[in-house]
Amino acid sequence: MSRLGRIRAEFTASWHAFLRRRTAVFFTFFFPAIIVVIFGALVQTQPTGGGLFAEPKGYYIAGYLAVVVLFTPLSRIGSTVARYREGSRFEKLATTPLTRAEWLLAQSLVNVVVIGVAALLLLALSALVTGTSIPTTPATLLIVPFVALGVVLFCGLGAIIGRVADSQDGVIAASNAIALPLLFLSDTFVTPDLLPAWFRPALGLSPLTYVARGVRAVTYPEAATAALPNLLVVAVLAAAFFAAGALAVPRTD
Amino acid sequence: MTAALVAREVRKSYDDVTALDGVSIDVDAGEVFGLVGPNGAGKTTLVRALTGTTRVDGEVSVLGRDPEHVEKSKIGLLPQSFSPAARLTPRELLAQYGGLYERARTPEEVLSDVGIEGESAEQWYETLSGGQKRRVCVAIALVNDPEMLFLDEPTTGIDPAGRRALWSLLDGLAAGGTTVFLTSHSMAEVERLADRVGFLSEGRLVAVGSPNDLIEAHGGRSRLVVETESAPDKSRLAAGLDGDGSQPSDDPEISFDVSVADGMLTVEGVGPREIGDVVSALERRGVAFESLTWKQPGLEDVYLELTGSSFDADSAEIADTTANTADIDAGGERR
Repeated sequence: MSRLGRIRAEFTASWHAFLRRRTAVFFTFFFPAIIVVIFGALVQTQPTGGGLFAEPKGYYIAGYLAVVVLFTPLSRIGSTVARYREGSRFEKLATTPLTRAEWLLAQSLVNVVVIGVAALLLLALSALVTGTSIPTTPATLLIVPFVALGVVLFCGLGAIIGRVADSQDGVIAASNAIALPLLFLSDTFVTPDLLPAWFRPALGLSPLTYVARGVRAVTYPEAATAALPNLLVVAVLAAAFFAAGALAVPRTD
Repeated sequence: MTAALVAREVRKSYDDVTALDGVSIDVDAGEVFGLVGPNGAGKTTLVRALTGTTRVDGEVSVLGRDPEHVEKSKIGLLPQSFSPAARLTPRELLAQYGGLYERARTPEEVLSDVGIEGESAEQWYETLSGGQKRRVCVAIALVNDPEMLFLDEPTTGIDPAGRRALWSLLDGLAAGGTTVFLTSHSMAEVERLADRVGFLSEGRLVAVGSPNDLIEAHGGRSRLVVETESAPDKSRLAAGLDGDGSQPSDDPEISFDVSVADGMLTVEGVGPREIGDVVSALERRGVAFESLTWKQPGLEDVYLELTGSSFDADSAEIADTTANTADIDAGGERR
């Protein structure tokens, strides 16, 4: 079977396995909905003064998307690695022609589809619930590569977490410990000017910063940054994290 | 005969625990090799060493190559605790794993071989019985029609009928030239399937040979175990039964070694045709007994002889050794 055939076989199996876990499916799509309802409808933005949520509604679209791009792949791939290891599936796969990179690519593609649908849902809810207007220009389509590459990036990181953590519980704890700081310190919901000046350069260390800034560049007309430089950084980081994640996928005990 | 698998002085430790301590094995192409040993003996570590899924010291070669670089389509593996995706059907699981190979057998064909057909092939894996699950796992190991098949306790959890069906399947694979490396807790299983058997104890391979050769060399003699109604008096019972006692004139041909332990009388070296003679001798001495058990030496006796300890496997598996045992009631009839 060709490389494509192997990836297709693993993708198909993982896709069906995901769709049949109803709780996982429900909460995967409930997650963006609850984010929009809490932040967009209940908290709402207050563009009149300082503090949190003081920017116009459109500013936070990037933050909403960053939530699903960050959390879902990180926890899903991490727990998938733990589940595969507990069921000796990596031991089995090590004796098949499927490589670690092919396995991670198949899992990443499942996540790209899942999170792509979740992102669409999120954008639609944002427009309907909060009344945010999203630009409909060709540049807006750059959301697709930002989401896809962002998902691949965090799938790579999820694989590393799955390798390091020794159980599914450990994966969840580690994912939360990594994702929460990243979410709030990546130019998503907390604007850089709310942070101490000495800390602001550290925002550049978070991969999510480039996803958020890039998405904002195409969804918020007043954005201060351009899309393509951020896309380039996200692409390079995605390649690096994917490669590291593929190496981290366990094939031996 | 070409060696399909060669291991030389294989060693593996986990921190202070030695899992494998200088194991050397040759398995010929087309041979069925059975590896037995109690839990913790190192069986699974050895399978991992041979399939390249753990790194070890020493030399390992599978089909002429390092196990990590052997052509993957030529080997099949069933890991001991393998558990595929719970919410895929057997047919989907076979399609998944078959899809990883250039050439693979159809899911229907392989599932039919392991007796998973009809509705069972369309149920989610998690809803199958333990035995059905294990058979699906065996099918996954067979989907690429491997030249070299590693099965780590393939019949664990399978009922006797399913086990026999799987044994027949493995017989067919062996007849077709597939080399099989099999680990098991069940002495009866390896005795039934394997051309040669290796005993692993505390990471060391203590003996290798054909079941018959091992039993002949280390299994001891057949014996009759007598459960008496009252505590046996060896001196009284032995008279005329063992070679040291004064033989009564009416038992001129009877001469056996007799031992008494745990309230049981064991008469060594009794062949099937001599059981009646022993029973007669007991009756003439007025010894009432509740049961007689005649036992041929088996691999379990070999293990006991070689390691000095009984085979500490799952009790259900030990029961398999009754294949070598015939219970005889007081009337001398087989039960």
